Amino acid sequence: MSGQSASGARRSGADAASSAEAPVVEARGVGKVFPGVTANAGVDLAVRRGEVHALLGENGAGKSTLASILCGLYQPDEGTVLVDGRPVTLRNPRDGLARGIGMVHQHFRLVERFTVAENIVLGDRRQPLVLSAGRVRSAMVELGERYGLSIDPDARVGDLAVGEQQRVEITKMLYRGVDVLLLDEPTAVLTPQEADALFTTLRAMAADGKAVVLISHKLGEVLAVADRVTVLRDGRVVGAVAADATDRHQLATMMVGREVDLSPRRAQSPPGVAVLDVRGVSLRPPGRPARLAGVSLQVHAGEVVGVAGVAGNGQRELAEVVAGLRAPTEGTVVVAGRGTTGRGARAARGAGLAYVPEDRLGTGLAPSLSIADNLLLTRPLGFFVDRRTATADARCVIERFDVKATGPAAAVRGLSGGNVQKVLLGRELSDSCTVLVVASPTRGLDVGAIEFVRDLLDERRRGGVGVLLLSEDLDEIRALADRILVLFEGRIVLERAGGDADLTELGLAMAGAGA
Amino acid sequence: MTALRAVHLQRRPRVRPWQLVAVPVASIAAGLAVGAVFLTLTGHDPTMVYPAMLSAAFTTWFGFTDTLASATPLIGTGLAAAVAFRFGLYNIGAEGQLYAGAIAASGVALALGEAVPAPAAVTALLLAGVAGGMLWIAVPAAARAWLGTSEIITTLLLNYVALYWMRYLIFGSTSFWRDPTSTNFPQGKPIPASAELAELGLTRVHLGLGVAVLAAVLVTLVLNRTRLGFHLRVYGDSEAAASYAGINVRRLVLAVLLASGALAGLAGAGEIGGRAHALDPQGLALGLGYAGIIVAALARYNPLAVVLVAVLLGGVRNAGTALQSLPGGRVPIAISTMLEGAILLFTLGGELFIRYRLRFGRGQGAATAEDLESVPVASPAEPTTR
Repeated sequence: MSGQSASGARRSGADAASSAEAPVVEARGVGKVFPGVTANAGVDLAVRRGEVHALLGENGAGKSTLASILCGLYQPDEGTVLVDGRPVTLRNPRDGLARGIGMVHQHFRLVERFTVAENIVLGDRRQPLVLSAGRVRSAMVELGERYGLSIDPDARVGDLAVGEQQRVEITKMLYRGVDVLLLDEPTAVLTPQEADALFTTLRAMAADGKAVVLISHKLGEVLAVADRVTVLRDGRVVGAVAADATDRHQLATMMVGREVDLSPRRAQSPPGVAVLDVRGVSLRPPGRPARLAGVSLQVHAGEVVGVAGVAGNGQRELAEVVAGLRAPTEGTVVVAGRGTTGRGARAARGAGLAYVPEDRLGTGLAPSLSIADNLLLTRPLGFFVDRRTATADARCVIERFDVKATGPAAAVRGLSGGNVQKVLLGRELSDSCTVLVVASPTRGLDVGAIEFVRDLLDERRRGGVGVLLLSEDLDEIRALADRILVLFEGRIVLERAGGDADLTELGLAMAGAGA
Repeated sequence: MTALRAVHLQRRPRVRPWQLVAVPVASIAAGLAVGAVFLTLTGHDPTMVYPAMLSAAFTTWFGFTDTLASATPLIGTGLAAAVAFRFGLYNIGAEGQLYAGAIAASGVALALGEAVPAPAAVTALLLAGVAGGMLWIAVPAAARAWLGTSEIITTLLLNYVALYWMRYLIFGSTSFWRDPTSTNFPQGKPIPASAELAELGLTRVHLGLGVAVLAAVLVTLVLNRTRLGFHLRVYGDSEAAASYAGINVRRLVLAVLLASGALAGLAGAGEIGGRAHALDPQGLALGLGYAGIIVAALARYNPLAVVLVAVLLGGVRNAGTALQSLPGGRVPIAISTMLEGAILLFTLGGELFIRYRLRFGRGQGAATAEDLESVPVASPAEPTTR
């Protein structure tokens, strides 16, 4: 999705200069067991100065655990960690920092009420008793210029956007003088543009002789930014390859352990009648800016319409209005010829709509209820609940979708992300629906599960269902959509056919620069 | 610093069914152990007192039937708390709803008089209690459903209103409830015999026990078998999921809180019809509503478990009274109150150990519960039963 625009020239001096010397940080035969889970087993990893090294693997493959061991957060049960060729014992992250190893976690460790500068010096024992704001500031300016990390030192962290908070975390690590920076799924929270900016920063750090370890399960970004890729599966290293000597297909196969087909899927036949008709829908909460402003769109039978947009630009509201969960201030929604505007979720379902919300566990599913109970959630029920049929249904879904669970009575909370989505899709897709609204259906899923979900949605399309797909991930949209709409600040600012949509154009429109 | 590192909590990868029983049992044992310390300090021998309590509460016929009688209102208030707390609605007002139920029940019984046949009078008394309890929670329930007002505050404050209203009816006025013939100490007017709940032989156990157990069974059935119960479980787990499914959340909140008030009111009616036989402000203000919260918490909000826990707690309360006349020396009633508190404290604290376990040693000092939660758990908590 992002970063392909950056040229191959970025991989300049790094490889040639440093491949001979000892790795700056290395794991040898590292193993780590958590109660019930073997997170790492016999893992070898060597990271050299001047390279961006990607740790690629599916959810639960052990990437984060390995990185946590390298930075001193966890101690390995077996094996050794070497820094500059010498074995070390890192008892805690402070030890790691002392050796020049720092990590930016998925969940930031910042104090929201503190300013950026305060966060940067927080916990730094080198600071004098009385903090010198000027020194921190000038250091920040210098780092900002060198690596493209500009942030206002006096801004409160709580007021910053997620991408900016991430820059604070990175600056904090650089300020501490790390030589090795580990980043855990850094792009999960970023827009494509922010991700590109991050990649530029990472390349600049590598060019400066630092080592960057990028944890990811996204093939595109790994290929775009990394020099070398180490692939993990089930806690073990499957292989380490140079990024320019491999491709998506090979990496996906290594990651999943079998052949995966992630090629885009499009409608095979021309779309039929309009099954979803949204006209002039606006949502204006009193006293606040409009969430949706005059949105009109149609979805036809046998068509996937993708709505792209950065989070917070109205996709969620649009999905909820269409699904009947919110009443729009203006405009109408017609599902399969029946007006459902503001008549509630049940009316929309009654008209033939199914909805897979972005928040699967908590909105789409009740977390501590069983699979069987969750399958009943959106079904019409009699006065007494028929448990036996529900259990039988659950067995069906578990078998048909290959859900990994102990049985129909298993709480969905205990399932992995992919299996949670399978239960949700199993319920929403097995109803005879004519319109399907899905929000970020493959977000956070493994490659294998992504393939499964895409196949499923494609199969529904071929079955004549009209699909409205909302996502901020352009890969996801482009893989399925026959038409793509871009939503920015509650308006549709761009419409393109799925096949020939230009990535840059879509990205700019999402950022509000298009049209 | 080192001490902190040496012991830490670790999330259990899975909770086994036996742990759900073993942890509360161990908690009660710990509560009794702490009680033993206090008994010893106050010059009593725990090895004498505990057996004496056991016989006073459970192992003799009179003791056991008295325990059942004491447990009866606790089942009602325990159910009142259980149905609400289980779904995240904190009705702290069972105390006031019990008074309101008692006032309504005695009022209706007095108004109907002797002429009405017993079955009709008893039914009217119980229904009046239910109505009184519902009426008392109606305003907090509506405020919560429509305005999102915290039901904790509103129900709690109404407890005092109910208490002083009840006192006013007997002590402060010549009301319909007050007995005009009692000239010394103001008392409630006795309800007609036809409205009294039948007693089991010569014991203090009355029909209210059957009604309370029936209510527990009914609540269980509704929660486990009906659409309303299913919707409630969804709501209790995730309000967003309930809205997503098109469930009318407002109606659920109303239903739960009204049912909770009704159960507390029923307990009040039971006390009037089965024990006091008149509106008795002193005899009713025993903190039965608050004790119901303890019962519900110990029962993990399971309605059938409420019955068992109510009997257990009723026994502890009952033993307290009996201990005062123990031949080996008087044990103050405060001891049984203290034991009740110790058992509650340990049981609520013990809840933690169902989900977490203690780990000693500093090997994995950094692996906190939060970190471990991100580790995928291979098997969910509950295995299938078939």
